[in-house]
Parts: sequence; structure tokens; C-alpha cells
Amino acid sequence: MTTATDGTTTAADAPGPSSPLVSTFVRLKLALLRNGLRQSAGRRAAYLASVLFALAGAALLLLGLLALRDSTHAATVTVLATAVLAVGWAVMPLFFASGDETLDATRLVMLPLRPRPLVRALLVTSLVGIGPLFTLCFAVGSAVAVGRGAAGLLTGVVAVPLALLLCVALARAVASANIRLLSSRKGRDLAVLSGLLIAVGAQVVNFGAQRLSAPGGLAKLDPAAEVLRWLPPSASIGAVDSMSRGAYGTGLAQLALCGVVLAVLVAFWGRSLTRLMTAPDGSTLQAAEPSRDRGRGRWRGGGRGGAHGLSRLLPPGRTGAVMERSLRYIWRDPKTKAAWVTSLAIGLIVPLFNALQGTGSVYIACFASGMLGILMYNQFGQDTSAFWMVAMTISSAPDAYAELRARALALSLVTVPYAAFVVVVTVGVLGDWGRLAEVLGLSLALLGAMLATGAWASARFPYSIPQEGYKNVAPGQAGLAWISVFGGMVGAALLCTPVIALSIWLHVVGGWGELVLGVGALYGYGLVLAGLRLAAPRVADRLPEILSAVSRG
Amino acid sequence: MTADAVRVQGLWKRFGEQVAVAGIDLALPAGKFIGLVGPNGAGKTTTLSMITGLLRPDQGSVEVVGHDVWRDPVEVKARIGVLPEGLRLFERLSGRELLAYSGRLRGLPGDEVDQRAGQLLDVLDLSGAQHKLVVDYSTGMRKKIGLAAALLHNPEVLFLDEPFEGVDPVSAQTIRGVLERYTASGATVVFSSHVMELVESLCDWVAVMAAGRIRAHGPLAEVRGGAPSLQSAFLELVGATGRDAGDSLDWLGGGTR
Ligand SMILES: Nc1ncnc2c1ncn2[C@@H]1O[C@H](COP(=O)(O)OP(=O)(O)OP(=O)(O)O)[C@@H](O)[C@H]1O
Ligand SMILES: [Mg+2]
Repeated sequence: MTTATDGTTTAADAPGPSSPLVSTFVRLKLALLRNGLRQSAGRRAAYLASVLFALAGAALLLLGLLALRDSTHAATVTVLATAVLAVGWAVMPLFFASGDETLDATRLVMLPLRPRPLVRALLVTSLVGIGPLFTLCFAVGSAVAVGRGAAGLLTGVVAVPLALLLCVALARAVASANIRLLSSRKGRDLAVLSGLLIAVGAQVVNFGAQRLSAPGGLAKLDPAAEVLRWLPPSASIGAVDSMSRGAYGTGLAQLALCGVVLAVLVAFWGRSLTRLMTAPDGSTLQAAEPSRDRGRGRWRGGGRGGAHGLSRLLPPGRTGAVMERSLRYIWRDPKTKAAWVTSLAIGLIVPLFNALQGTGSVYIACFASGMLGILMYNQFGQDTSAFWMVAMTISSAPDAYAELRARALALSLVTVPYAAFVVVVTVGVLGDWGRLAEVLGLSLALLGAMLATGAWASARFPYSIPQEGYKNVAPGQAGLAWISVFGGMVGAALLCTPVIALSIWLHVVGGWGELVLGVGALYGYGLVLAGLRLAAPRVADRLPEILSAVSRG
Repeated sequence: MTADAVRVQGLWKRFGEQVAVAGIDLALPAGKFIGLVGPNGAGKTTTLSMITGLLRPDQGSVEVVGHDVWRDPVEVKARIGVLPEGLRLFERLSGRELLAYSGRLRGLPGDEVDQRAGQLLDVLDLSGAQHKLVVDYSTGMRKKIGLAAALLHNPEVLFLDEPFEGVDPVSAQTIRGVLERYTASGATVVFSSHVMELVESLCDWVAVMAAGRIRAHGPLAEVRGGAPSLQSAFLELVGATGRDAGDSLDWLGGGTR
């Protein structure tokens, strides 16, 4: 490592001094990997399984791409698939920060290393792993699928490594930009929210895939591919295609574009690394400014502490205080916000997309109630160890009842109208207005059942929600979380059987669907009251146990 | 003033193999400024958590102002204020919102809470930051807002776990002033600390803990005994005198590697 410190010889064009660094880093990475696997048999098995899985996937992909060789859509499919893969590389570091096996540059801050050799060494190190292997197989398969003749072969030899390097560099650039973002509180808050991108994105992809699997679906993609073939790394596969078809100018331009983008990405990454390793963390300064301004504005507005519009509308005492805090947390606490946005988005998207496809059933609108009801689960885990403040003020079952009821009220304030809205939208899209009342009744009954089981599960199965990072369960408590949510959902469904039975029976005898609305709403309300009554004494009895269960984050 | 504020009998707590608190019997007099001192890991936090009802003891009983903490929480919880250590606050509220929330949970009328909160924020020099989210507070500011929340309902007994940790000298003086005025009115403060000078200058009564047991307790002068300062009496009590690094760190310092 002394090679990097002795000044001028470390310029980028000298391969000599950097290669020991490269090999040191590669060895370091392999050692880290080995040590990580040595720690537990479970991890070893998981790693082995993921290697096998990736290899099998790569092999299948390769076969598929080879089979595509004679298809008219070969270029479209490979270009699009490369783009999807590149997006995967770009988002991976955002979501699997802990699963990212590349060396963490911030850990190397204390080493006397220059940025340029460091970037080069890190880039090479990043090529070691399952992901790059998979990508290599994919790129080779794509090149073979579209390549023809000597020109195609030659271009492929350049294009494949270029595509691989582009993917890796993209991931690194995003990751280092992300680390910079993560070192401020506002940035961290944002990053937690990004988790729901996956959830919503998955639904959109699912919807898109269903569209495409329809006959003639692939042809619809040709225009998209026309654009993407100019976008690296897809452009490298596009170049192989262009060259094979004799469009040498186009092909060369696409290759050149890839080269330029790679250089830009590496340069950007290098700059981020340098800044990361030299600049102090300015998070508190940045965070303080806007809130001070905001605070002053509110103060001038004459708002006596906490007595703004919302709190005047809420009931006095514990109920109002708890409701106000819960509602504020929906917006201010990143974890809570992410949970809410996910529930609201998925709760609408699933029934709506199902309805849009024309094949859906109106009853899927109840899905929204299920998604929203999950928010009642693990109420105290959402408080983190700040639950002690609540625990200090609960000394009897009625106190606990008031606390839980206020939380359920705050939730209902948003979820009841929203669930009704989803039902109306779904029924409207399907044009089945005759069933509106019935579905609404079922939906309200389910929401009530979820709130009831959620209150009970909050008392019985509390678990910690780590505040940093993307995980929602502390190590060792995953089982508890699953039992709580899934057991609760099954329980809620079972609790709803009387209303479901009524609905079916009314179908058999014909008519009177409106009855389900009244019965469902009342039944749901009754379930909530019963659930809170059952949960409250448990909360009051188990305060220390709940506190220790939710303090592990 | 002769009654005990806190009476602890045979208190035990184990965490797996580790015995954190090994049978404590203690009676803390009311109306006093009481210091609980001990080395790291002595069991101070564990003891205070059990006394305040935040941690369930394996054995033993705790009475605060004559009521059993575990059998009669209604009487106890309204009469105590707590500033725990290592637990969060509702950090996504601003300082003022946190006080408003905490006071209303305690069942105080809204206007009263707002008035008291304003005065506490002023006295503790937090008015400038009252609309900032607690998550953006510094360590010392968090201690101060936590203290304000603990005082808001005017408790009879106040339990503070390391209230001066991370607090600057000016704020420490402020906190001292507030607490001294509070005890002068007959209330009791129990606080844990490592800083002997502070305990010596502040407390009338101390209890020394080590390895989960009470090593000494009583009025300050009694515990100090013949020793020149509480610091040296403490080191002797916990058996730490003469424990020096010796030669084991002889490579440290001196400029060579
Ligand atoms: N939740 C826990 N799980 C396991 N062990 C614990 C737990 N809490 C405390 N302990 C152990 O109990 C012992 C006493 O800890 P405690 O926190 O009460 O000490 P303390 O006197 O407050 O120390 P400090 O001065 O460092 O705050 C320690 O050995 C600690 O490791
Ligand atoms: Mg402690």
C-alpha cells in the first residue's frame, strides 16, 4: 500500500503501482467473503444456494437467449432486458446495502490511498461476485442472440465487457451517492421511503407483464427498444445488432457512447468518493436550518404550542394527545410514513389494476381494508423505546383502553374513508354499482376485524422496528412479526365469516345487498370495541415486557 | 419528612447468567437530594428501572411514597417523574409538542400544560429550540427536554438516570438550580451519576453500588467517613484503589511505533 503514498507515480496511466493495490483489494474482498461465510452454517448455505440459483438462472437465460437467435424480436428483447438488468444494478445498492459485498469505501478513509488508483481497484474488485457473473452470462447470451458474422463477433468482444463494466460502475456510482445522501437526516428519511418504490414498482411490473403476455404484446415494445438501444448499457447490445446488420456508423456511435458514459460514471464515482472521504458530515447543520425557519413561521402565526387547527378539533386529554401524535407521525416519522404510503398505494393499486384488466372481481376491493388494517399491528413497536413515556402513564386497564382506542381512532380517521374510496373506485371501474353496498359492508367488517386483531396482537406480540436502515424487524424477532401479522390476518378473515355468510346467503335468496352494509359496519365496529377490551388489560399487565420487546431496535 | 420516599426490599434481577442486581435493601429518605453512585455496570440503571416500574424484578418489593409499585401503580405513577437512560423520546415531535403530549397523557388540563411547558422551556433555556424536532437536538438538549417532561406534572419523587451526562457546565448549573428549588419544597430527587464532585456538592444522602449490591448508604458525611473526598471513599468502597495499568501498556506513548 506504500505504492500509493509515494506521490507522483500514482497517476492513472501507470499500471505498475496500481496492480498491487488491485490484487490486495481482490484478496481483501475474498478474505472478507470467506470470513463472513465462516461465521455461520446458515449463511454458508444461503450463499451457496444463491450461487447455485444465480448460475441456474444464468444458464436458463443463456439458453433462452440462444433460442431467441432467429426470432424477429431478438434485438428488442435483449436491449430491453439489458435495460432492466441495468436498473436492477442501479437500485440494488439502495435496497440491499447490507447484502452489498463490495468493499465499503468509507471504511478505507483512514488508509493513505489516492482516489484514482482506489477507484480502479474498487471497480475491479466489484467484478468479483455472483451478480457480475450473472451479468456476464447475460451479456454473452445477448450478444450471441443478436450477433451475426465477423463484425458482430468483433463488436461483441468489446461490447460484453463494456456492458458489464457499465453495470458495475452504475451500481458503484449510485451507492456512493447514496451514502452521501444517507449521511444527513433528511436523506436518511428519504432513503427509508425508497423501500416502497419496490412495492409499488413490483405491482406496475406485474401489470405490464400481464399486458405483454397477451398475443402481439412484444411488438408493442419495439418503439421503447428504439430509444433504449441508444442508452448505455443497452447501447452496447444495440451496437452488436447494428454492426451485424451492416450499420457500422450507428454501431460505432453506440459503442463510443457507452465508452463516454462509462468514463463519466467512473469520474462521478471517483468525485463522490473523494468528497465522502474528505468532507465532514454536515447533517445537523443542514437539518437545523429549515426547521428553525419553519418554527419561527409558526410561532409568528400566533399558534400557542400545539394548539393549531388539528388539535382544536380533537377531543381533550389522552385521546386527543395520542391521536395528534399518531397523525403527526404518519407524516414525520420515515418508517411510519413508508408503512402508510405502502399500505395506501398497494391497497389502491391491487384492486384498481385488477378492475382495469376487466377480469377482476369487486370483492378484491376489500384488499384495501386488509392492507390498511395491518397498520394497527405492532402499535408499540412503532413507538420504539419511547414507549416508556406511554408506559409511565398507564397504570390500569382503562388507561390502556384509552390509549389503544385513541390509536385506533387516529387510524380510522384515514382508513375508513380511504377503504370506502377504494371500494367506490373499484366498483365504478367494473361498473357493478349494484354490489356497492355489499362490498362496502364486507370491507368495513374486515377493517374492524383487522383493527381488533391488530390491537390484540400489539399487546401480545410486540416487536422492535429498527430505526436505521431498511429492515422492519430486529434480528431474532422475525418469527414474532410473522406470527403477529399472518396469524392476525387469518384471524381477521375468520372473524368476518358471519358477514361473508350473510352476503352469500343474500345472493342465494336474491337481493337485499344493502343489509350487508349495515350489518358489516356494525359488526366491524363491535369487533373493534371487543378487540380493544380484550387487549387493554394485557397491555396494562405487560408494560415492562412490551417495553423490553420494543427496545431492541 | 421522616417518612421514606422509596423503600426497596430484596430486589433481584438476572439477565441470563448475569446477575445485574443482587438483593438490594434500601430506604431513601423523603425530601432529600439522593445520589446513587457506582462504577459502570454496577446495576444503577437496572435498579432505577425496577423502582420506576419500567423493568419487572425477579424478586423483591418496591414501595414509593408508601405504595407498592407493582401492586398499586395508579398511586405510584402519578407521583413520580422519570428520566431514564438509553431509552428514546418521541423524537419526531418538537420540544414543545413533546411536553404538550406528555402532559396531556398525564391527564393535566391543556391550558395548564401549555403554561407549565412554556415556563420549563424558558428556565431550561430551550425556548429557542422549542419548535425544532427533538431528533435534531444535541445530547444535552435531549436531557433537558427529558427533564422538563419528567417535571411537568410536579411529581413527589423524581428519578433521574445520569441527568448531567453530556450537559454543558452552564446548563448543569441551570438544572441544579431547578432541582435544588424543587427539593427545597419537600420533594425528593434520586439520581445516578459517575461524577463524584457533582454528587458531593449536590447530595445530602448517597448510596454506593458495586456489582449489583449496595456497598454503603447514608448521609453524605457518614459515607465519606474519614476519607478526604467522596472520590477516594468511593474508590475504596468499590475496591478500585491501587489498580493501575502497570507495565501492561508500556508501548503506549513515547513516539515510537
Ligand atoms: N437488557 C439487558 N440484558 C442483559 N444484560 C443487561 C441488560 N441490562 C443491563 N444488563 C447488565 O446488567 C449489569 C448492570 O447494568 P446497568 O445498566 O444497570 O449498570 P449501570 O450501573 O447503569 O452502568 P453505567 O454506569 O455504565 O450506566 C451490567 O453488567 C449489564 O451488562
Ligand atoms: Mg446506567
